[in-house]
Amino acid sequence: MNIDLTQLTRREFLTKSSLGAGLVLGAPSILKAKAPDAAADDIRVGFIGCGKQHEVLWNAMVNIPGIRYVAACDIMEKDRLSATYNRVGRAFGNKIAKYTDAEEMLTKEAKNLDAVFVATPDFWHAPHTVMALEAGCHVYCEKMMSETIEGARSMVDAMDRTGKLCQIGHQRRSNPRYQFALNELINKEHICGQIINMNGQWNRALSSSQDIVYGKPANLPDAETLRKYGFNAGANGQLSEQELQHRFLNWRFYTSLSGGPISDLGAHQIDIFNWFMGTQPKSVMASGGRSYFKDREHFDNVMCIFEYDTPFGNARAFYQVLTTTSAGGGYYETFMGTDGTIEISEREAYTNIYKESGADGAKWDNLVRRGLLKKEAVGQAAGGSDAIASYASAPPDKYALPGGLNKPPHQPHIENFFAAIRGEAELTCDARHALESEAPIYWVNPAANSHEIINFTEEHLHA
Amino acid sequence: MSTNENNSIDTLGLSLSMLLLRLWLAARAIQTGIEKFAGTSSESKIVEIDGAANPYGLTEVTVTKAYALSNYHGVPESLYKPFASEPFIPVWGLNLYDKILGPALLILGITLLLGIATRYTLFAMGLLYTSLTYGLILINQSSGVAWLGIHIIMVVLALALAKYNKFTILKKW
Repeated sequence: MNIDLTQLTRREFLTKSSLGAGLVLGAPSILKAKAPDAAADDIRVGFIGCGKQHEVLWNAMVNIPGIRYVAACDIMEKDRLSATYNRVGRAFGNKIAKYTDAEEMLTKEAKNLDAVFVATPDFWHAPHTVMALEAGCHVYCEKMMSETIEGARSMVDAMDRTGKLCQIGHQRRSNPRYQFALNELINKEHICGQIINMNGQWNRALSSSQDIVYGKPANLPDAETLRKYGFNAGANGQLSEQELQHRFLNWRFYTSLSGGPISDLGAHQIDIFNWFMGTQPKSVMASGGRSYFKDREHFDNVMCIFEYDTPFGNARAFYQVLTTTSAGGGYYETFMGTDGTIEISEREAYTNIYKESGADGAKWDNLVRRGLLKKEAVGQAAGGSDAIASYASAPPDKYALPGGLNKPPHQPHIENFFAAIRGEAELTCDARHALESEAPIYWVNPAANSHEIINFTEEHLHA
Repeated sequence: MSTNENNSIDTLGLSLSMLLLRLWLAARAIQTGIEKFAGTSSESKIVEIDGAANPYGLTEVTVTKAYALSNYHGVPESLYKPFASEPFIPVWGLNLYDKILGPALLILGITLLLGIATRYTLFAMGLLYTSLTYGLILINQSSGVAWLGIHIIMVVLALALAKYNKFTILKKW
């Protein structure tokens, strides 16, 4: 499908895209790609966005066979676009076409591309994804889908309209450790009992939350380029080149360019709450503040509580994203039930499973015998003169998942995308299901701003 | 005790000191050069549940250290990016440095061990450590700078003791 993309702007894409209706969250994707022309054909891939997240994707896909790299695009020609060009050349010996404009790349290269990877700033996700889908390419787009729910809905609409695949980068959905924990331990063996509470966090130390500064400012895009590509969005008055370049490097701090930490970091984990619960929350309350980084547009620290109605009863999830402390040990999602707790993270080191002292020990021993769990340690009472025995709960035994992932965390999700293109699998996180999971996240910042509970309706959450 | 005995120099002690310095600096350079070719080889075993391979692909991985030419990385990945973003370090220069660092350490270490042109070898080794120091100064790795400073002191000491260098293949230079 060839269309003239050169006349369409990002804003026009959003306003011209119609909104789709929602489906039940958690249902498997019904989307499948058409069979390729020949089974042995390589999948021809292009990149839009060659920054840091692109590198993460590249490192996860470079070992996947059956891919031919064709073209790449980034507005930062030096260092980023050239690095991708060199990277592909070093790994595979072929030269890819280089573009600094995504519309031009798709206009000229769409016929040579089966799939496009979008790893641009959040405010470009929707326009780039819609462009690529309408140009006839399957799309893998990084999360958060868009900085606005309208943008995300336009992606779902474009996916439905074009019949092309659109995988969203919630890579935990394809991670065998997460799939095993959900399917086997929670749903089949019910090791948690009734899950009543969830807890998640992504805490980053100040040292990891500072403004990004680029050592070679001469290699950054100039003011004219950055204005052309919308990095002045939402600004009052004319921005200097230095201010625009700060926005280019630190787009996550600006409300017109991203959803801030709660969407940038929280999206991964709130997605897991919704996926594991198999439903969307019914409300959100939140608090946030510019507590340390007072000049940033987004909150630097956010805490929120989602309430759920599940088939087993009501439940709630607390989530915090803190950019001023690493306290609490990084990032994880915890599912706390009456019989046990699964604390899971993309990092195996942060993953732990605990059995409540009152849970059926014989059942857990049997799970260990069968190979579904590994027992790590028997709970040890802390003791000491400050312990009040009649109030303290008996310590839980500690267990672990029986195995891990032997490849980069993003690789299974990309493999799933390619398998779906070949017609061999269903997407684990197509745009519709991603939006059903992401939709509640769009309402955290408004809830924190208004200090009011938002009770979700179809209007809030529909895809 | 005679005056002659007081002023005499313990040449055996100085020769052994020089030999020890040569051995230390050579071992440091050679093994560091070899480590540039180090990588890991991992063996994955599929986890069995109920006596059968699990359908999720969960694996138990055993990782072992291995050496291969294909593993070569002159400048560690963790340092390459900070160096590449430094205005004082051109990328072409960094890439060239990345290519020659490992072989240079191996060659200098071996020539020092064998005693081939020891003084020029030590001088070249000192220059190499100075270049590494410069990079670490740029990215503010003070502990690394101090660590390399100790190397330089040892190189200088070896040069000062070069007169007492024994067990050499090529003593000249």
